Amino acid sequence: MRSTVLFASLAGLALAPSLAGAQEDLQKLSQDPKQWVMASRDYANTRFSPLDQINASNVGKLQVAWTFSTGVPRGQEAAPLIIGDTMYVISPFPNKVFALDATTGDLKWTYVPDQTRAAQGVACCDVVTRGIAYDNGRIFLVTLDNHVIALDAKTGFEQWATKTGDINLGETTTSAPLVVKGKVFVGISGGELGIRGRITALDEKSGKIDYIAYSTGPDKDVLIGPDFKPFYDFMKGKDLGVSTWPPDAWKIGGASVWGWFSYDPQLNLLYYGTANPGPWNSNQRPGDNMWSSTDFARDPDNGQAHWAYQFSPHDLWDHDEINENVLVDLELGGKSRKVLIHPGRNGYMYVIDRQTGEVISADPYDTVNAYKGIDLKTGRIIPNEELKPDLNRNVRNVCPASPGAKDWQPTAWSPRTKLLYVPHQHLCMNFKTSEVGYIAGTPYVGATVDMFAGPGGYRGEFMAWDPVQRKKVWSIKENLPVWSGALVTAGDVAFYGAMDRWFKAVDAKTGKLLWQFHGGSGFIGQPVSYQGSDGRQYVAILAGVGGWPGVVANYQVDPRVRNAALGFAGATQDLPSYTEGGAELLVFSIPKEEASAAPPPQPKP
Amino acid sequence: MKRWASSATLVLLLSSPALAQPDTDKEMGMPVGSSVRSESGLPLIQATPGAVAPSSASANPILHVPVTDLHPGNVNFAPRIDNPLADDPNAATRGMRDFIQFNCVGCHAPNGGGGMGPSLSDRRFIYGAAPPNIFLSIYQGRPNGMPAWGEMLPESTIWELVSYVQSITHPSGPNFGKTISRSPLSPKVQQTPAEFLQTTDPWGFTEAFSSGQPPNGD
Repeated sequence: MRSTVLFASLAGLALAPSLAGAQEDLQKLSQDPKQWVMASRDYANTRFSPLDQINASNVGKLQVAWTFSTGVPRGQEAAPLIIGDTMYVISPFPNKVFALDATTGDLKWTYVPDQTRAAQGVACCDVVTRGIAYDNGRIFLVTLDNHVIALDAKTGFEQWATKTGDINLGETTTSAPLVVKGKVFVGISGGELGIRGRITALDEKSGKIDYIAYSTGPDKDVLIGPDFKPFYDFMKGKDLGVSTWPPDAWKIGGASVWGWFSYDPQLNLLYYGTANPGPWNSNQRPGDNMWSSTDFARDPDNGQAHWAYQFSPHDLWDHDEINENVLVDLELGGKSRKVLIHPGRNGYMYVIDRQTGEVISADPYDTVNAYKGIDLKTGRIIPNEELKPDLNRNVRNVCPASPGAKDWQPTAWSPRTKLLYVPHQHLCMNFKTSEVGYIAGTPYVGATVDMFAGPGGYRGEFMAWDPVQRKKVWSIKENLPVWSGALVTAGDVAFYGAMDRWFKAVDAKTGKLLWQFHGGSGFIGQPVSYQGSDGRQYVAILAGVGGWPGVVANYQVDPRVRNAALGFAGATQDLPSYTEGGAELLVFSIPKEEASAAPPPQPKP
Repeated sequence: MKRWASSATLVLLLSSPALAQPDTDKEMGMPVGSSVRSESGLPLIQATPGAVAPSSASANPILHVPVTDLHPGNVNFAPRIDNPLADDPNAATRGMRDFIQFNCVGCHAPNGGGGMGPSLSDRRFIYGAAPPNIFLSIYQGRPNGMPAWGEMLPESTIWELVSYVQSITHPSGPNFGKTISRSPLSPKVQQTPAEFLQTTDPWGFTEAFSSGQPPNGD
């Protein structure tokens, strides 16, 4: 073990000169159409590829260029990165990282972290990871057992490893890190195990922890200080992260961080959402439970909060709000506004002023009966009192179900169509609370959940949303939840994968199905696009069903017990009749002659 | 008396949420590359005070219980160890309460359907289905995520849990395997979900398999 570390350090030293070169600007790098340098492609989280070789007229000719197995047939949620000519892929636990020639698929190196197998026992919803990060010649990964690791991107040798969480407190890490201004930002998972949510910022060169910003507790821990100016009154006051909980409950109150970071370089603000409060049994935690189910805007340099917006004070249904914040400028009421679009887990599509935290609009985009709307004066969501989950009451037919109208699966934004492409589910549930005791490292839930298809009998949807008109422009109903991310390109093609093994390309303007491919396992990954060294445009996605809705097909879960997998088994109990787990990276392109015959680049929007 | 012991453990935990806070701050946040660590990433276990004889298998027959069907030389001397509560008609009911109280339900799901941990409802036991196998899996934990409960729960509580697990697992059917199919539909049935019914005999209450649509009661 020691000799390996020493070797790694030496290798790092030997390569130091190449790393010490001009600091790369990740923001600039993310604008190169050929590459895909962070999971969400850019700091704004658009997942828009400016490549247009593949377009609506030729996408029908897409075929497999090469494939690669990650070797682990569990949920493949990660986005591949493409830096220069190299593609980087991470597997589910044990989180191996592979570097491949992005054009030929040749394997350059493999990194195998030595993490404890026991971590799998405290991962709530499959042993997934959502990706890796890159900056200045280093690849950053986070293992399920909470080790943040820097690798030399060229050689795959380890440069540093820092532990940022403890599995014996129920902590795991599943989200993709993001690098901003030389700091690696990582979240923490375990909202179902009574953890205390937080983000950790580490120095990208040394791995030393720069600061931690907690989601609960006193202001000094949450990094709330003089800069903090929430838009709404209910979030103003001292130490609300303590006083909105029963005594000490904030210490085990969840509010984990397992979704997406976005960053606005002009405003110098880092955005992310926090998860549900724990336990799910809301009767055990009277109060607003701050800062769970909350968007934070922070200064990445010191972590200080500038504003917050709590989507669901005193969450009743496990409606985390870790969903992505897509940073766009919209023409609203005759003027350009810097906004973020947050497709809420609670079923509302939020448009929020990203400078102030003011909610400009919030409209339901799926069946919602758990809430009556959002009071734009107070900023508070209005729960449906008829569905109050009193202790031991079986509340029937609550919509959206616990995973919400949309969970982690990220949307894509096209600056050409000005539409948001939204993969999501359409589920309702029965929900019954019960008393639960806290035992460190074990689930702290207190709810029996049973999910099922929403009205109409379908379980998922891929749709395009116009945030200015505040409406759905087109919609594709899917039999199963759509648990993959979305990609949209300058060729005006949108891509997504379905859990029944179909990977699909649709017309970004109309939603018309243009091409589909039957993969080896269901899709829950993040499609990306890049240009190879041969000048061709490629589209890549990992196949391999899993995640919260998919453990019924890739792990030992009984589909006849509807309450299994925290109730998701009820909604996907027939998934094993469509797919098994898988571990295959699929890379597609159009044939060479078609690629060279592609029309000249389309005009910029 | 036995019940008191287990409740006391829980009360202690509930009244001390501070216990949850990382005592490992010193360890966390420090680069680990150069430091010695155990396989688990945690400090190496110190020798237990009060030494135990290294091999007391003869005094503890349960240590002879194999966790595999393979026996070198084809010599299988697995002792027959039954659940000491096998004749206690209320053991499974107490076990069901334990299952909820000690958060087993959070990982293995109501009625043992599985999720974070594997299912217990379908007679597929990775580490053996015999009562002492189930006892040892709870007592010792298992390497892919099952915590070791031996220091936290009295043995009587663990045997109650064994009674409950035996009670919720599906009785063996006539077939060697199972078929998964949409047409004709297989499996054909699902349990009445736990939000409607809490029972130690969930396979005694089934309804038509609803393929992701609402349960029959809705």
